[in-house]
Amino acid sequence: MTYLWLALAFIAAAVIAGVMFARAGARPGGAQRGGAQRGGAQIGETARHWKAVGLAFAALAVLTAVFDSVMIGMELFHYDASHILGLKIGLAPIEDFAYPLAGVVALPGLWIWLTRKRNDASPRASRNFKGLVPQALLASRPVSWINTAYPFAAAMLLTTRDIDWVLIVGTFYFLIPYNLAMYGINDVFDYESDLKNPRKGGIEGALLQPHLHRPMLWLAAITNVPFLLVLAFAGGPAAWISLGVSAFAVVAYSVAGLRFKERPVLDSLTSSTHFVSPAVVGLALAGADVTPGLLILLAAFFLWGMAAHAFGAVQDIEPDRQAGIGSIATVIGARRTVRLAVGLWLVAGLAMLATPWPGPLAAIIAVPYIINCAPYWNVTDTTAARTNVAWRRFIWLNYGSGFLVTLIFILQWSLTS
Amino acid sequence: MGVLYLVSLLLGITCMLLLDHRFRLFFWRDAKAAAIVTAVGVLFLLGWDLAGIGLGIFLRGEGTIATGLLLAPELPIEEPVFLLFLVLCTMVLYTGARRIMERIPAKRRENERERENV
Repeated sequence: MTYLWLALAFIAAAVIAGVMFARAGARPGGAQRGGAQRGGAQIGETARHWKAVGLAFAALAVLTAVFDSVMIGMELFHYDASHILGLKIGLAPIEDFAYPLAGVVALPGLWIWLTRKRNDASPRASRNFKGLVPQALLASRPVSWINTAYPFAAAMLLTTRDIDWVLIVGTFYFLIPYNLAMYGINDVFDYESDLKNPRKGGIEGALLQPHLHRPMLWLAAITNVPFLLVLAFAGGPAAWISLGVSAFAVVAYSVAGLRFKERPVLDSLTSSTHFVSPAVVGLALAGADVTPGLLILLAAFFLWGMAAHAFGAVQDIEPDRQAGIGSIATVIGARRTVRLAVGLWLVAGLAMLATPWPGPLAAIIAVPYIINCAPYWNVTDTTAARTNVAWRRFIWLNYGSGFLVTLIFILQWSLTS
Repeated sequence: MGVLYLVSLLLGITCMLLLDHRFRLFFWRDAKAAAIVTAVGVLFLLGWDLAGIGLGIFLRGEGTIATGLLLAPELPIEEPVFLLFLVLCTMVLYTGARRIMERIPAKRRENERERENV
């Protein structure tokens, strides 16, 4: 009997909500204009609503009778016999029809109430969302997705030596949703300066139309929050802190009010965090031991990321200054930024020499970056835009580095297993 | 550990979304409203599940087609996916029924007009 009372309580709540929503939703002008407007149109709308609810429930009842019986037959779930009435259709206890009944009574009412106000504006609203997902994917720079997914997957896999669901979910998260948020938020708040930058719109990002700004932020939130919660659920305090830092860096980099990307030095630190934090999250979820070698490796990776960001900012000195945007490069100038980047790569490479074998092999990875950027050792602010040539090579250089890093990881794996 | 049930549910969800896409019923008519309805529906039914589990009525089976992964005691990972499917199925059926009901009188009027013209 307990199940019946439970079901009746939830059905009662659903019926009350459903009737209230349906009444409010069928009223054409909203709740304020009752009286005179309550004509045949509203009665017709209400009648059609409940008729459709009835049709939907008839179909749901048949589906429930069939599939609930199958599911109970397959032993997916069962009931404590003392709690149910015992009346069954097939194998399905009569109380199981309460779920679809409550759903079909309440949810369509909520739906017509939610879609009511925008009835006149809905063609515009639906056009607004058109192209959001392709735009968001283009904006998220698919060519760079691997740069955040790889550090996570490699860090976690090398620690646990096992492919589990956390690894799969986390890799997917850092492959797509994370980049969707990072670049989506960035493009929304960068709209003004992007307009003046011909480099945007292709391989390095798309110009985002203003009417897509709000939907883009929503998309970023909806695609990220569930993953962050699931990953936090899978880990302990270390994972919570690293996920928090990671998500904060994503938002703080470009969101209005914080705009870390416009604060010299903080911009490079935040940008590097974007790529290093997935690795730290992976290590935290895997429960890795903190060793000096691991810390040196992460520090070298962090310096590499800072150098990459600083060098990337050099090409944008002109457009950034025109738009009144600050960056490490606009503040310390093109020449010193290039030299700083080369220096950081050098230190990163040297640091790797201090890690346990086969870590020192990775020192060689710094060399192509230094060679790629050294020709701009004497660049000036006026010739800064020319560094775009090196920046384009840089994107592909990362794939080569990833290949070398992978070989070293495989070597490490075979040495330690 | 079986994934048959989970895969079937995901296939079912895909089919509902295909119907939705083809006939512009739910998410493809008003994505924001549909997202709210879906979230409210899943959370409401999940609350019902938790109440049932708390009262000791609902017991998870040991079926071999389920993954056996649990979100909470007696709450398998498949349950929220099933509830999502149920909500989508409900809303596709409702919005589909509304669509059919709108079509029938419109067609009847059209036929009458054609007859008058002849």
